[in-house]
Amino acid sequence: MAGTGSRGRAERRSAGELESEVLAALWATEGPLTPAEIQTEIGGGLAYNTVHTILKRLYDKGLVLRDADGRRGAYRPAKNAAELTAEAMHEALDRGPDPIAALQQFVSGLSPEEERALRNLFAGGGA
Amino acid sequence: MRFDVYTPLLVSLLLPLVSPVIGRRVAPALAARVLSSAAVLTAAAATWSLVLLATALLGDAPPLIREAHQDGRPLADPVPEVIGVAACVALAVVVRRVRRAVRTERRTRRMLRRLCEGHPRDTELVVAASEVPQAFAIPGRPGRILVTSAMLGALAPAERRVLLAHERAHLRHRHGQLVTAVTFAAAANPLLGPVRSAVIFLVERWADEQAATDVGDRGTTARALARAALSAGPGCALNFAERAVTRRIAALQMAPPPSLWPAAAAVLALGVGAALFAADATGDLLALLSDALT
Repeated sequence: MAGTGSRGRAERRSAGELESEVLAALWATEGPLTPAEIQTEIGGGLAYNTVHTILKRLYDKGLVLRDADGRRGAYRPAKNAAELTAEAMHEALDRGPDPIAALQQFVSGLSPEEERALRNLFAGGGA
Repeated sequence: MRFDVYTPLLVSLLLPLVSPVIGRRVAPALAARVLSSAAVLTAAAATWSLVLLATALLGDAPPLIREAHQDGRPLADPVPEVIGVAACVALAVVVRRVRRAVRTERRTRRMLRRLCEGHPRDTELVVAASEVPQAFAIPGRPGRILVTSAMLGALAPAERRVLLAHERAHLRHRHGQLVTAVTFAAAANPLLGPVRSAVIFLVERWADEQAATDVGDRGTTARALARAALSAGPGCALNFAERAVTRRIAALQMAPPPSLWPAAAAVLALGVGAALFAADATGDLLALLSDALT
């Protein structure tokens, strides 16, 4: 599912976009990931060296940490800034839906009927 | 003056009627552009019409009437006093609503700046370590994408790419500016509220289509939306009518709608027409007032 449409697209993605994808992959996984695991996770024919370079850049920016007590060469996301952002976001959400609702959110809530229909989509669509 | 000045109000009634049709039939990128342009033109023209109607009250001002009577010419006052007064009241309401919209916009921008604090400027992705599945684009230079860890965890790798491509499309095509413009238009002219809702929905569709193109797979794009919506659950019902995820998913399961230029041109013509008639009414009023004064 992931591969067919996007094989070979990785090279056309800009460095900034790839940085986002690596960071997103690290945040999506519970545990730390090695560059090889990230390479598999992202797919799309991304070279191992590219993953390594991106990780180094993210490390220099303080966005990822080297996993000291875990496996050698594994990385995990740095939490400080992300926790501050979450705090600010929750504060804004508590103050009322206005400021966040005004933004282009990826998705918004579902009605119960819509939720049922979507679950059927996954059941029938073989996702 | 007698009729021209009311044309923008007529267009304000027509535009909300055509916007759902345009939204369904025309490619979202084109539909969003023409609807928001027409809404801004119409709102500006309608507000200007109110200014003209209020100014026409001057024709009833005593010095003008006295002068007109001295000349022995009856003053052709095209605007009944009642309408002039109503226009003044409406203008006051417009000013209040626009000021409130500007304040909300400023507050939102301040909040967004706070969300980005502590993240390096040259990184596109801003992650929030939160259990609330949430993702949105943060306009600016450079634009950023905020995604919570819960949202990232809920999506498969290909679906994460859809999410990023969708938010990037918002930034690249400046959807923030488009929505702000149409929000101000609807603040100045409440009749245009439905047009604003249509544009808000259309920029989501636009970003969906762009994401499907970038990722190269409409099915994966539809699944990403469904998965994200399901993880967000029924709890958070922030204007889901406007952004209706199920309608977006259904649209992705069909072929992308065509760029129907004639329909788009007709919508744009409505907005331009409103502006032209308002300009014409301005000329009439100026002629009338100078006529009364000389």
